[in-house]
Amino acid sequence: MRATNAALGAAGLAAFLALGEAVPRLGLVEDAYFPPTSRIADALGAELAEGTFWTALGDTLTGWALGLAIAVGAGILAGVVLSIVPYLREATASTIEFLRPIPSVALIPLAVLLYGTELRSVLLLVVYAAFWQVLIQVLYGVQDVDPVADETARSYGLGTWARIRHVLWPSALPYVMTGVRLAAAVALILALTAELVIGAPGLGARIAVAQTSQAVPEMYALIVVTGLLGLLINVGARTVERRALAWHQSVRGEVTV
Amino acid sequence: MRRPLAGLIAGALLLVTAACGASDDSASPGSSGSGGITTVKVGLIPIVDVAPLYLGQQRGIFAKHGLKLEMSPAQGGAAIVPGVVSGQFQFGFSNMTSLMIAQSTNVPVQAVVNGIASTGVRGKDFGAITVQQDSDIRTAKDLQGRKVAINTLKNINETAVRASVTKAGGDPDQVEFVELAFDQMPAALDGGRIDAAMVVEPALATVKSQGGREITSPFIDVAPDLTIAMYFTSTRYAQQNPQVVKKFQDATAESLAYADSHPQEVREIVTTYTKIPPDVLEQVTLPKWPAEPNRASIEALMKLGQADGLFKSTPDLDKLLP
Repeated sequence: MRATNAALGAAGLAAFLALGEAVPRLGLVEDAYFPPTSRIADALGAELAEGTFWTALGDTLTGWALGLAIAVGAGILAGVVLSIVPYLREATASTIEFLRPIPSVALIPLAVLLYGTELRSVLLLVVYAAFWQVLIQVLYGVQDVDPVADETARSYGLGTWARIRHVLWPSALPYVMTGVRLAAAVALILALTAELVIGAPGLGARIAVAQTSQAVPEMYALIVVTGLLGLLINVGARTVERRALAWHQSVRGEVTV
Repeated sequence: MRRPLAGLIAGALLLVTAACGASDDSASPGSSGSGGITTVKVGLIPIVDVAPLYLGQQRGIFAKHGLKLEMSPAQGGAAIVPGVVSGQFQFGFSNMTSLMIAQSTNVPVQAVVNGIASTGVRGKDFGAITVQQDSDIRTAKDLQGRKVAINTLKNINETAVRASVTKAGGDPDQVEFVELAFDQMPAALDGGRIDAAMVVEPALATVKSQGGREITSPFIDVAPDLTIAMYFTSTRYAQQNPQVVKKFQDATAESLAYADSHPQEVREIVTTYTKIPPDVLEQVTLPKWPAEPNRASIEALMKLGQADGLFKSTPDLDKLLP
């Protein structure tokens, strides 16, 4: 079953790449703006040979990882604190609903004013976007705690910390993991956007330079890299999720089928 | 059940400490280094126009004047003016219309030294209004009722195109302007989505390589030898650090002169910070880099901009220019 899936996946990708090669070669689109796959592959090879490419990749990954770590840490902490103090939850609900829909890119002028084109500009956007993903999931997750389990824990005399650890956290974890997975993807998008628009060092800035330089195959090659990066991050996040939730029935169920 | 929690907390702690470590490492380098060398951050768009700074840095001209430049390539001018005003960059590169708009709205900016000028040679400038080879547009007057792409509405290129249309005896109000990034103009022109495009290098070279035609050189229609962009700083920085500004002016003026007389070296240094393909770079028309701004041309640009309603109040050139 698995092998068939892999083969189908590979065939689909191969067909897509062949299409990318054929369409410009047949003259259906101008190859100056949509170069065939082989020319993009050449440009990609040239990119990989350059030291500055790896620096840019490192910059992007740094912005992504730091931003995600801060957002996840802060999101979990804030989510748990908000849920165990009912008054706090009530007091912040409207503020959260007000702040959450503000698109992170709207903060670009603020980021430039505060930090110029430094890494911190990227972090501001990444953290703002990823934080809500985690926070909201934590809040949902906490609501999902079985009241009977919670009452039982109380009647056995468990303290606040013990209840967070043994009742609240395991119930909320599947939600938290979903939040982390969403945040990981959003963080990458925002890191690249910040680099593209502000010019903070990284793959996004490199794409922008290729674009303004009329270096079309190089631009597509870099876009391919960002696509692969997104794919890797998603696969990685799913693996972490499966590991962390190995004990949970949703994952256990998957394994037995 | 204990493990996932412990693992997660440990992971988060590790990442947070890593974050602290990393931000310590990247703490901004001291603005004043050893040996009397002052490091200044310059916000600029990575394009051919700013090659003299890269060249001057490489040839040791800035070091000779006691300066070290730290280039902050920003994407588009939008990040540069706020970056300079807030002190993230000490100097920035911007076109004259943007600087005059900023000044007329009381943004505290101060031009310090010349940036680039038009070549002043009709048909051989680094910016031009271009059309497809088989287009029926022959002169700027024919742009009436047509779709013309410019990179930013209500800025220097709109003023320039309007000047060309007026000069050809047309009514610029009848031109339909659309906003499009320079790099997207060749494809849009080729695909017939726009009738004409006001392009600058290297997009101009791309358009020409597709067989596109130049209609006119609009910067020359604004004024002969138009000063198009300058390096600027914030008024506060200029007041507090007059000696650094003086060094930057002297070193930049020297670099501009050097770049102007060494076009081959300019083409070489451009490859270090852009990705312009070699065959395109060879076709690129370089701008002029005079050491002094041309005040008469800036006044002409201001009058046209005022007529187009770009400024809230009359820009004070005595205050803006060095």
